[in-house]
Amino acid sequence: MKSLQIAATGMAAQQMRVDVISNNIANMSTAAYRPRTAEFSDLMYQQYLTPGTITSQVGTIVPSGIQLGTGVKPSTVSMEITQGALRQTGAELDFAIDGTGFLEVTLPSGESAFTRDGKLNRSADGEVVTKDGYPLADGIIIPEDARRISVSPDGEVVAYFDNEVEGQPIGAISLVRFVNEKGLEAMGDNMFRETEASGAANRLVPSSDGVGMIRQGYLEDSGVDVVKEISDLIEAQRGYELNSKVITAADEMLAATTRVR
Amino acid sequence: MSNAVYAALTRQAGLMQEMQVVANNLANASTTGYKADRAVFAEFLAGNGEDIEHISMGGLAGHQFDLEQGGLRFTGGKFDLAIQGEGFFMTDTPDGVRLTRAGHFLVSAEGRLIDAQGNPVLNPAGGAILIPQEAGEVSIAGDGTISADGQVLGQVGVVRPEGQIMRAGNTGFNAPEGFAPVANARVVQGALEQSNVAPVLEVARMIEVQRAYEAGQAMMDKEDQRLSRFIETLRQL
Repeated sequence: MKSLQIAATGMAAQQMRVDVISNNIANMSTAAYRPRTAEFSDLMYQQYLTPGTITSQVGTIVPSGIQLGTGVKPSTVSMEITQGALRQTGAELDFAIDGTGFLEVTLPSGESAFTRDGKLNRSADGEVVTKDGYPLADGIIIPEDARRISVSPDGEVVAYFDNEVEGQPIGAISLVRFVNEKGLEAMGDNMFRETEASGAANRLVPSSDGVGMIRQGYLEDSGVDVVKEISDLIEAQRGYELNSKVITAADEMLAATTRVR
Repeated sequence: MSNAVYAALTRQAGLMQEMQVVANNLANASTTGYKADRAVFAEFLAGNGEDIEHISMGGLAGHQFDLEQGGLRFTGGKFDLAIQGEGFFMTDTPDGVRLTRAGHFLVSAEGRLIDAQGNPVLNPAGGAILIPQEAGEVSIAGDGTISADGQVLGQVGVVRPEGQIMRAGNTGFNAPEGFAPVANARVVQGALEQSNVAPVLEVARMIEVQRAYEAGQAMMDKEDQRLSRFIETLRQL
């Protein structure tokens, strides 16, 4: 009785959908989080009678055949490329990216990671680091005696000192773009790693080639739309129930078979 | 052996298969671009020697796809495409060109438009579609024309199958008799077509199948009792 297994694949798929939705809802306040969506596709079909099989000497054919499906499987869980709302914080080292780019961060292993979470801090030696203490790949070091810094939309970092009207440029923040952002591998801690599917990191000057602008004093909110997630959750829950009803029905059919003798 | 049992048996086997069709539809109630299946039953006449002319057996004869439009879910994805009305997208799989209504597409690292399995999506001429890396805001028009920064980059092909189609898994269909372009296709960017499975109908069908199956079992049970009574009577003679 294949209906039991088919319904089980349906329940597993809906369960996975609920997992993805609950992770989205859990991250509704995570800076620059991009919601994920689970996509499904149908499994292979068993061919009982191939359409087009010749049924007589005069060439009549079977019009539609018999193909029985075997259930559903997850095809991808992809990241939605959305721009989260920008929230003003006024903090000097809060950066939001208004566009599709990422900030590049150097991990302790020397490997590069990419993030859109622009909540940055200053380390003991004045280096600009993420909240986990990983430095920006552009290596921006803020001089100790700098009064304040400003970052222009195109990434130019300027430090202002006491007794000086003109600021001094101390570096530039670049943004990174990927051909296929959905192909990035999520590492947790709001960071991503480059993969073969994402393509190579393309380092660009902010405000050019659609990579986006840097907004100092803002943070990007989570892109999760709670209303949408909740309506998806209801749908997934009902889908799960429907598949469990199939299991009950299939079970009762089997029970009817065993009752005969 | 009694023919009544055999006739009932064909019905029972068919119902088991129909249950599988219903289970598959419900399992795919959230599958993008899925088209519901309908089992079609037909009777066939079986000869029975000389005394009885024919008895009728029922069996699963074929399938019908319910090609009705599924609802559109707006996702805002740049390469999420849905077709409103007739037509299918083409993807180039290792087993040949497949037709699909599931338009959840991506751009590969080489800049090619691909589906979720990594197969290239084809343009009307049957070639791959290239999206240059430096292309800014890509927009896709109703007829599938892809453009960015005022320049045309290509077109997503929308075709209609000629003759019968077969399912090929991954929400794809195989059109052995070929396909032809759809003249006035309507492609919607930023939306996906949901499964067109209507859960209410499927549940109603499921109950129907289950009850019919139980009725069939009861009938076979009765036939079994009748035969044993017959044998009992013979013994007492």
